[in-house]
Amino acid sequence: MTTGENPSTAGWEPGIVAFLCNWCSYAGADSAGVGRHQYPSSVRIIRVPCAGRISPFFIISAFLEGADGVLVSGCHPGDCHYTSGNLIARRRFILLKSLLEHAGVEEGRLWFTWVSASEGGRFAAVVDTVTKRVRALGPASCLRRRFI
Amino acid sequence: MEASAIVRTVRERAAELLASGRVDLVIGFEQGSMPMRAAPCFVSDADGTDRLVWNSFCGVNLARFLRGRHGRIAVVAKACDTRALVELIKENQLCRTDMVVIGVPCAGMVDSAAVEEITGHAGITGVEEADGRLLLTAGGSPVSLPREDVLCRSCRRCSTRNPVICDIAVGERAPEPEIPGFLDVDQFAALPSEERRTRIEAEMKRCIRCNACRNVCPMCYCVRCFADDAFPQWVGRGGDPGSVMSFHLVRALHLAGRCVECGACERACPTGVDLGILNRRMSADVYRHFGYRPGMAPEIPSPLSTFSPGDPEDFMLEPDRGRSCGCGG
Amino acid sequence: MRRPPGRGITDLVERLLTVAEVYAPVERDQSVVFDRIESAREAAIDRGPAALSPKNLVFPRCEMLLSSSTRGDESGRAPDPGPGGPRVLFGVRPCDARAIALLDRILGGGEKTDSYYIRRRESLVVISIGCTESLETCFCETTGGGPRSTEGSDILLEDLGDRCEASIITEKGVWLAGQIGLEHDPAGARTPRGPAPPAGPAADLAELKKRLDRSFEDQCWRDIALKCIGCGVCTFLCPACHCFDVIDEETAGVRVRSRIWDSCQFPAFTEQASGYNPRPSAAERFRQRVMHKFSYCIERYGMPGCVGCGRCVSRCPVNLDIRTVTASFLGDGGEP
Repeated sequence: MTTGENPSTAGWEPGIVAFLCNWCSYAGADSAGVGRHQYPSSVRIIRVPCAGRISPFFIISAFLEGADGVLVSGCHPGDCHYTSGNLIARRRFILLKSLLEHAGVEEGRLWFTWVSASEGGRFAAVVDTVTKRVRALGPASCLRRRFI
Repeated sequence: MEASAIVRTVRERAAELLASGRVDLVIGFEQGSMPMRAAPCFVSDADGTDRLVWNSFCGVNLARFLRGRHGRIAVVAKACDTRALVELIKENQLCRTDMVVIGVPCAGMVDSAAVEEITGHAGITGVEEADGRLLLTAGGSPVSLPREDVLCRSCRRCSTRNPVICDIAVGERAPEPEIPGFLDVDQFAALPSEERRTRIEAEMKRCIRCNACRNVCPMCYCVRCFADDAFPQWVGRGGDPGSVMSFHLVRALHLAGRCVECGACERACPTGVDLGILNRRMSADVYRHFGYRPGMAPEIPSPLSTFSPGDPEDFMLEPDRGRSCGCGG
Repeated sequence: MRRPPGRGITDLVERLLTVAEVYAPVERDQSVVFDRIESAREAAIDRGPAALSPKNLVFPRCEMLLSSSTRGDESGRAPDPGPGGPRVLFGVRPCDARAIALLDRILGGGEKTDSYYIRRRESLVVISIGCTESLETCFCETTGGGPRSTEGSDILLEDLGDRCEASIITEKGVWLAGQIGLEHDPAGARTPRGPAPPAGPAADLAELKKRLDRSFEDQCWRDIALKCIGCGVCTFLCPACHCFDVIDEETAGVRVRSRIWDSCQFPAFTEQASGYNPRPSAAERFRQRVMHKFSYCIERYGMPGCVGCGRCVSRCPVNLDIRTVTASFLGDGGEP
């Protein structure tokens, strides 16, 4: 994870936490490797059983502990290993994204997407897009824990 | 119906319910220890029903007090209390057949802090209500204020004036204004991100983590709140502003699709944090995306316990598009 | 309506600002709190009692005790060195000053002293202003204080409009008065503008204590606490409540141990690691609050743990009024 201690340092790279579902997106990231798709090394992947398992705590905790961006990816609608975990999660995600941006977390720090197990190229493209956007925003400060 | 007639009817019905054994307990309001205060009260004896009152200061949401009590309970409920009851029934926290709702129409509750502000904190020794005005004795002199000017923030934008579920209706139906929409939310959303952040951080800075907002909330009933968890500790308990903000963000998310906007949290807050600044965002989103207003219909499932295949998805990243449209933000 | 402070007061504040950091009631976001001021204009003496008590100055809501680095080097942050020069707490009500006197006995006196408290307290000079009116929530006299109580104050002022009379009470007060050329008015000369307002009848505290001690196991606590929602408003607003917790937190390579306010009204206050809680319900927790204030504090420190400022009365979300509770114990029957 990024320390973000000196954002002015040239070559600063964002730290992005990626929550990937076990059945599709995590395998998608594997496919990206197997398929030799290049993507930035800014993501730190955390494997979760299902997009539906992702509590808002996970995402907020990532920001609290210094993540500059968070990416959440699950199975495409209809592909969920648990039938509808991703669809239940989708409702939560739209609210979470809206609330965090309402409170001043810049648009472009929190991303949701679907990546299937075979979409290695898509995963690389997602990480590429997210990294570019977060890099442009610079280090996150809104929720970062700091002692006073 | 005159306020005094409402009080009389509430007392009579409560006494009948207790005397006949239909309920074991009546939860209502009694006169508080000073003017402009009404306190929750628990009456289990028909003789005790004379304590019950009804006035402009019954702001606490009594739905908060039903959980965890045995026996059949009657509750003197205004519209937002019944909306909370509906949600609690939906979440299997309360059983409809174990409760008797004595429903009272509501014209909005008065914010006693606002009255104190207007009267310059001169000791208020008396308060009466007549024709939509508050007749106060402040610092020894009479002061008359229109109720409309000192209504609680949540009551000003409330469009549900009559109980949603009701077994015993007291008083005439109150006229209900048009649903006022979410103008406040949209205005706030139109501000630049940096300014929104500054304003919300200023609100959160006042929070002293006393948990009054959470504890007074009818919908906050987790046996162990995430904020009290130590392993893992989700939010810090110290003075870190990110943790304070996260506490309120997660609380707002937990209440999304469940918050009945009774405003009890804002009234309970000792430092006057505008909690609606977060909760209203969620109410607006839940209404716009899922067409749901909490507490209005017992038969409609809670929006976050279900889904629709056609739920909005344009907030999500399509790498081919290169960006999301930022829907809702 | 409350009258604005007289010229005597504002002149005095200007003089204080030249010799010390001054903390006074100020208006922040429509409520009055104690904070540092840079000019006399900022002081909101006439804006009614401060929503939060001044205890934050000597006993902050969150205070870092120590810090270290997880990297094993010296990059961890050192503890806050605390205030340097003299600080003046100006314009407190005598009840709030009296609460500081209680904190002194608990955290700053006797065999066990609290170095963090003392560090902040030693540099603090307390100047109170005698009350000329009482609010419907005031009950200082019930707890043994009064609108002109001098306990806890280094200097007690009487606002006489164009000037103010000062009672200089302590050595610290003498020192500060010397710095700003404030003269002591012999106590007998203190002529309040109008009679001191009554702030509730004086209660028989010894009798209250006796009856409380007798009622520890009484069922009445269950009924009293029925409406209690278990929040910390009463204890966090209280100028005399002083319970705390010590927490360890860590982020980005820095570990911090802090002391934070805690409340006997929270279940976690007494919950043990096994899950057992000796104060399992609101009844026991509310009883603790009343007993601590009106029995244990009197026993240990010779004064009640309540000064009658009325903040808990005013801000309790469910109007659980401690005056009503204590009065019920002092009622005719002896038992509530």
